[in-house]
Amino acid sequence: MTNATAELSRRGFERLDLLLLTVEALDLNGGEAMLWATQQLGFSDLFPNRVELWKRRCHNPLRRSTRRGVVSGAETEALIRLLCAMADRLYPLLHQLLSSREPEALSQQRWDLLDQRLRDLVAERMNPRRGAVQRMLDPEQSRPLQKQLVLTLALAAGSGGVDRLRASLLDPTP
Amino acid sequence: MLKLTYRYDQSAVRLVVEGLPDFSSDQGSGVIGILSTWRLQLVGAPELEGKREHLEALLLVVTAYSRHLLSGVARRFGAEQDPVSISPNATGHQLQLRSSQPGVEPLTIQLDDAELADLMRCLDALRLDANVQVAWPSPSLQPLARRDLSESIPAGRRFGAPLLGASALALVAVVAVMVPVQPPSAPPAAEQAVKEALTNAP
Repeated sequence: MTNATAELSRRGFERLDLLLLTVEALDLNGGEAMLWATQQLGFSDLFPNRVELWKRRCHNPLRRSTRRGVVSGAETEALIRLLCAMADRLYPLLHQLLSSREPEALSQQRWDLLDQRLRDLVAERMNPRRGAVQRMLDPEQSRPLQKQLVLTLALAAGSGGVDRLRASLLDPTP
Repeated sequence: MLKLTYRYDQSAVRLVVEGLPDFSSDQGSGVIGILSTWRLQLVGAPELEGKREHLEALLLVVTAYSRHLLSGVARRFGAEQDPVSISPNATGHQLQLRSSQPGVEPLTIQLDDAELADLMRCLDALRLDANVQVAWPSPSLQPLARRDLSESIPAGRRFGAPLLGASALALVAVVAVMVPVQPPSAPPAAEQAVKEALTNAP
């Protein structure tokens, strides 16, 4: 098992925040649902309100209004557990998106909707001068990335998802 | 003795395990300590069943494969002679199961991403279920090595920057060799210097 209080690298935190952004794109009330989930998971001390949660997420260097400093191991672990709880809640939707047994036209519409919402959120909150953000906004390049994000959320959901996701976020930068 | 059965369901996958409590290990009457049989039903595939070793191999291989997929590394797990192997292909993931009985052809099952996630969730639920206290092999859930991660990066991106840097260095070296360098002027001989000094003297 990986260390549950390890601090994430810059790249790991970028991925974590991007996955949380994907949750918001999948769930229109994602912001409220996250706040509710932090209370349910017992993280009210770490994230007592929406602003505190937003401030931690702003440590992502790709954000427009990025914050300096390091997010503590406990806060990182809380964000990972929050993400996995949200992925678990959204699992039926993730399953629909990933299933090849769904009608193709319907599946395409679902992906188009996610694509539009996610690109809107990225354009609103991320720094468009960064190469990684430009790739997310490019319709040609964004689709494989979105598929990887949705698959990551699906594999992070469930009882064993936290350890798996934490290990992948602690990967070294290649 | 009462046989216990536990079932783990997801949309496209159902895993059923049966067994008995292991009273010699002080396990409760509702806990499976000795696994007798297991069955796995995947939508659109024949029902699978086997020994405990097969379930352990399935758990290890699928967990490692999913762990690597989370890091963007899609590669085969399980060798040709292993009871279970999984590898990526154009349409998703190919699960191969080989019977321990001789003369039985391996069974190949095609999974899409959703079915793989369902299977992973069922295996996670079994592995972490407090009612099934079987000593499962613990899957490695560690950060990947830098070497493993670099395999997932296309060669163009992996070698592009070093190649560009080496080419620029070579170009600068060639230009530096080709540009003629002015030789340093020889210092005046000592005698000439003395004469010049005397003639210039007041």
